[in-house]
Amino acid sequence: MTPAELIQIQPPLVALLLLLGAAAKAVDRTGGGGPVSLLPDALQRPASVATVLLEAVLAVALLAAPAPLGTAAGWAAAAVFTVSAVLLAVVRRRDPQMGCGCFGGLSTEPVGWRAIARAAVLAAAAVGAALAGGGGLQAAAGLSGAQAAVGAAELAVLAALSPELREAAVRVFGRESCEVRRVPVRRSLARLRRSEVWRANRVVVDGTEPVDVWRHGCWRLMRFTGRRNGRPVDAVFAVELRGRRPRVRAAVSDAETLVTLAVLGEVAEEGGAPLPRTTGGAPQATGTVVPTGPPEDAAGKAEEEAREGAEDRGGPRVPRARAGAQASGVSGASGASAGISTGNGAGAAKASSSDR
Amino acid sequence: MSVDVQERRRFTAALLGEDAAPPPSDPSPQVVRGVVLHVTAHMLTVATLKGEERFLFERTTSFWRGRDVGPQDVRVGDDVLVRCGGGGRWVVDRLWAQLGRVTGTIVSADGDTVVVDPGHGRPRAVAVIPYRSSGRMAVRHPVLEPGYLFDAVGVREGGAVHTTVPVTTQPPHPASRAPRRPPARRVPEALSGIVTWYDPAYGRAAHTDPRAHAAGAAYPALDPGSDCGPDCDRSDPCLPLPLLSLGATVTVRNDDTGVSAVFPVLNCASAASRFCDRCREGSGDASGRLAELTLPAFTALGGRPEAGCFAATMEAG
Repeated sequence: MTPAELIQIQPPLVALLLLLGAAAKAVDRTGGGGPVSLLPDALQRPASVATVLLEAVLAVALLAAPAPLGTAAGWAAAAVFTVSAVLLAVVRRRDPQMGCGCFGGLSTEPVGWRAIARAAVLAAAAVGAALAGGGGLQAAAGLSGAQAAVGAAELAVLAALSPELREAAVRVFGRESCEVRRVPVRRSLARLRRSEVWRANRVVVDGTEPVDVWRHGCWRLMRFTGRRNGRPVDAVFAVELRGRRPRVRAAVSDAETLVTLAVLGEVAEEGGAPLPRTTGGAPQATGTVVPTGPPEDAAGKAEEEAREGAEDRGGPRVPRARAGAQASGVSGASGASAGISTGNGAGAAKASSSDR
Repeated sequence: MSVDVQERRRFTAALLGEDAAPPPSDPSPQVVRGVVLHVTAHMLTVATLKGEERFLFERTTSFWRGRDVGPQDVRVGDDVLVRCGGGGRWVVDRLWAQLGRVTGTIVSADGDTVVVDPGHGRPRAVAVIPYRSSGRMAVRHPVLEPGYLFDAVGVREGGAVHTTVPVTTQPPHPASRAPRRPPARRVPEALSGIVTWYDPAYGRAAHTDPRAHAAGAAYPALDPGSDCGPDCDRSDPCLPLPLLSLGATVTVRNDDTGVSAVFPVLNCASAASRFCDRCREGSGDASGRLAELTLPAFTALGGRPEAGCFAATMEAG
């Protein structure tokens, strides 16, 4: 490839970057940052608007204007990128946490050597565009195979120097980690109410609205008041905030004695071995679901045994559901036979009796 | 924001495991806060929550009241924070008198007086910049205009804090123009940053107000869906802090001293969410505020209140 062919592909490339930058800045509502932040407050917004207009005009001129105007647009773009590189270095020194603002709200990463190097590369490309005399649309229409390959390589270099791509990819294809993601309480409640765990324990709960809601990283916890076997209880549900089939756990605790009567999904046994953790920091499911749905007679027998046992010991008992568990998932949506209690204490009673 | 934080911790531990919500550490017996009843060159009597307590001074005991002073500068009625030495609760290692701090966004500035908004849930604070410290303050806080951040330690006098030391270098832009945090696909279990202190009792009635003695933390990433509420004015911190609620417990380790403890989250640290600074003193180059500890908690981990911060590692749960 001759140098003339190489510089021919610069106008469309530079114009593409200018257009992308102008569009990203135009839709940004956060005020950007970068070199504009060096100006007094009152001038920052007008300067942002002026930058968008300048970049758009230069891009259009590089694409469509004939030689004298296209050449001037190329030199102007080279000047813009050179000044940007210098100002970014100043911003980096003045405020190390400030983003470069090059692509509006996507440029959240603090100004680094990559942003400065990108501006320098673009300044060099703009010099090439000036020497080519603009005419970017014509050049793009008549690209040879070699020119397309070199253009793609140049774009790859610019992409490698663009931390904004990562942010754009996260926004388009993925989401933030569940620990930091804001999730409305209403959505958590809806997920809870769709779960089998909620349906199985609905009879214990008074009312439909939680009396307390709190958050613990990837989990939202909701406390409801209720009654079980005539005694006031707290029914607490934990809903995971990730995945389409979030795990749901529940615990029923005596409101007066504060003894945990039953736990669905996990049992937090005092002094027990630490629970295995996921990468998100939450305890992993251990398949410790209190079994429910036994035959009528078995459930009744278990209840009787539990009642007798409780009377013998003179007080409520903490079930050790892990020991009495069956191999079953703890996903609230999938735990078809999961339930702490059906209001008569059968589930918890079974767990108690099976343990001791 | 009145919630039963102990109940929340108990239920969290029951459902997510004890590791997710460990019980808070016992308060350090070597850190005492109260009001001076009597002071001599060798002995100090302080009214604390436990009643009257007496402490002895050694030759190595140091005193702070805006600067290093002697025992004669400690006055009856002063709100004092005492760190004892020698593993007991008798001999004073260092004493701070009338400690105050103003952290937040400047609301107005008139001459040497700056009114600062510390964020929702806390009253506005007044900082007076005396001539003696104006040079130091101007270097670190060059713009005393509404909207800019302010953080300084000083001596509490007559409802205002007379600043002596700027804790941080003021960002060169208003708080509203702070850069956004890049998206976090993964959040590490342990986060590095800095920890600062705050005084939930505002220096008042330190001998009777349990808030003055509480060992806890204010957290800059309270869940907006529950505790932070409709008045929530915190911003997203520059660190990817997991969203928590009041009652959660966090393990904080002072990277300089290696001392760690578990503290309950007691308040929202709205102001801390706006800072993305490093600690001027000590090791560590991580920036961003992890939490604000109460004065006794901060001092128990080996922090120097007059420095305002220390490099720390924090783990939720």
